[in-house]
Amino acid sequence: MDQHRQQIHNRITVIFRDIFEDETLELYDGMTAADIEEWDSLTHITIVVTCEKEFGIKLNAAEIGKLKTVGEFINTVAERTA
Amino acid sequence: MSVPTDTGETCKGLIANGKHQEALALLRKSADPAADFPTQNGYLRTLKKINLANANLQPLRIALVPFYCSLDHFSETLRLWATLEGFELTIFLAEFDTAEQMLFDPTSDLYAFKPDVIWLFNSWRDVLPREKFPDCTNHAQARVVYARLKNLWEAISTHCSAYIFQNNADLPPDRVFGNHAPQISWSRTSILNQFNQILTENCGPGMTIFDLDYISSLFGKRQWSNEPYWYHSKFPFSHDAFGMVSFHAARLLCGLKGKSAKCLVLDLDNTLWGGVIGDDGMEGIRLGYGTDGEAHLDLQRYVLALKQRGIILAVCSKNEESLAKQPFAEHPDMLLNLDDIALFIANWNNKADNIRHIAKTLNISLSSLVFLDDNPAERALVSRELPMVTVPDLPEDPALYVRALDKGRYFELTAYTDEDSCRNDMYKGNACRAQLQASSTDTETFLKSLDMHSKASYLDNFSLPRIAQLINKGNQFHLTTTRYTETELLQKVEHGAICRCYTLTDSFGDNGLISGVILQPNGDTLEIDTWVMSCRVLCRGMEQFIHNDLIEIAKQRSVSALIGLYLPTPKNKMVADLYPCLGYSIVEETEIKRIFQLDIHQAKSLDNHISPRP
Repeated sequence: MDQHRQQIHNRITVIFRDIFEDETLELYDGMTAADIEEWDSLTHITIVVTCEKEFGIKLNAAEIGKLKTVGEFINTVAERTA
Repeated sequence: MSVPTDTGETCKGLIANGKHQEALALLRKSADPAADFPTQNGYLRTLKKINLANANLQPLRIALVPFYCSLDHFSETLRLWATLEGFELTIFLAEFDTAEQMLFDPTSDLYAFKPDVIWLFNSWRDVLPREKFPDCTNHAQARVVYARLKNLWEAISTHCSAYIFQNNADLPPDRVFGNHAPQISWSRTSILNQFNQILTENCGPGMTIFDLDYISSLFGKRQWSNEPYWYHSKFPFSHDAFGMVSFHAARLLCGLKGKSAKCLVLDLDNTLWGGVIGDDGMEGIRLGYGTDGEAHLDLQRYVLALKQRGIILAVCSKNEESLAKQPFAEHPDMLLNLDDIALFIANWNNKADNIRHIAKTLNISLSSLVFLDDNPAERALVSRELPMVTVPDLPEDPALYVRALDKGRYFELTAYTDEDSCRNDMYKGNACRAQLQASSTDTETFLKSLDMHSKASYLDNFSLPRIAQLINKGNQFHLTTTRYTETELLQKVEHGAICRCYTLTDSFGDNGLISGVILQPNGDTLEIDTWVMSCRVLCRGMEQFIHNDLIEIAKQRSVSALIGLYLPTPKNKMVADLYPCLGYSIVEETEIKRIFQLDIHQAKSLDNHISPRP
């Protein structure tokens, strides 16, 4: 994984660990809501809002619901912060 | 307000050492209502780790009724701020856009939840036609929407006695007519302003308008509008504003439940004026002219306005008393008089001791004090010694003092009576009476010299807010510690209860309404359901005056007996013997209640030095 993406991965890992209150959480690209019990539509919004804040980006209305996997989050952030 | 980045860590440390109260106090002091959503979530995570069992939180049940919007995350932020302000909140979150179903049906889950407060959470989009921009055919739109809300208010007051928070409309920033919008009577701007105006004009007892528009302006309307989240899942405003809305609501709940601050304790040097009176003298202190002189004057202006609306003012200064008083008496630019200050303490003692003395003399709790002092060392000392006193952080620049005092929302209120505006004078009168009492040689002489008068009357719309205030805030002279909302009081009277209100004036001033009694007819007797009295007027003869009035009422209604009820609590021991002292006989005694009876034929009226006022 290139360095830019790796950094994003690390920062998103911290965000997920805070939101889900699990210091041992490890993220991988294919991870989805199905893999974390508390990841429902509400926490999804929390994840999106927190990522927007963390990386200084704003998602389109259409994108908010479309990001399904951790990999897609990282890709979107990478594109917007390149 | 800056948020220490290690507050979470410090709290964790305190919690690990079992210091939950300190952790909560630290979180309360450092949490910033304006902080963004991820930070609010951080506060929530910290709060979850704190054991609140000993926090003395007041339980409160609130029903949130979203109109066409989603309040899902908002309810958790509301819970955070309500907890920080001393409430244990139980929240009922109604489903999206189900206001009529929830509120018209007396068997709905919302009513089964038994809310203390119902928050009608509409926003601007609920006031305008949804499918188009308004045109000249929509000029009655505001009235139409108001009619919808009025039906909901009536349904609520028919089916329960909850207090209502009613949102006004948060005007959106986009304007088809641009600057000219307010001058078109049917523009979105005008319709929403009309709507907000109609709400204000029609706000009745038992409800308050929650000024969502003000908060949206404070936050910044463009940031507030977060369109992507509206389109995605109908969040009515930006997540980053949840903290601010929740904080304002929590402070309003404090106002509703009598937990707002009552008294502002003021330092003098470099707070009410620039410079130090002891060093700089009258000519040297900066007040009224020059940059910081004007700023201090504006603070005095704000403080005077607080006093005029009913906040008690006290001074706590490290100074010679005569020097400290000099600017009040002699400085031409001084706005505050000595008359405006209910209690003036200037000495070289520790400020925490002085503040304790202030609370004791004014007979109010420490938690109802706000202490304003430019000196961080004094602030830290008082905060440490008296954690229940609110001590706002003042920035270095006096230009920002008013802002620092105002943004804390310490004195939030939901109802305002004429009596509130006289409160400072009343407390000042008390301080004078205390001095007179100390100097009188016997009680009888003292009481006669007060030249007291009382007016007894039945409950009406003017006395309603004040009687509700007495009933809900009273703890010591409160025989049964009943708690009734204004709506409940009106309902009781409608169903046959008698509510008597008593005022008291004396040579020092008007104490206003100081006691309320609720009588419940029961067959051949009148039961005293509630007898509450302000502690400011104890042992002056009001007890006897009211006793005589109740006998008169009983005779007018030809009842044979008055039944007195005493429910002991840790706080009302002072009235345990009230009924026996007035001549009642004990009828029944259990651990939780005592019932007394006074036979009207044998009842004696008792002497006192209070003359009735017709």
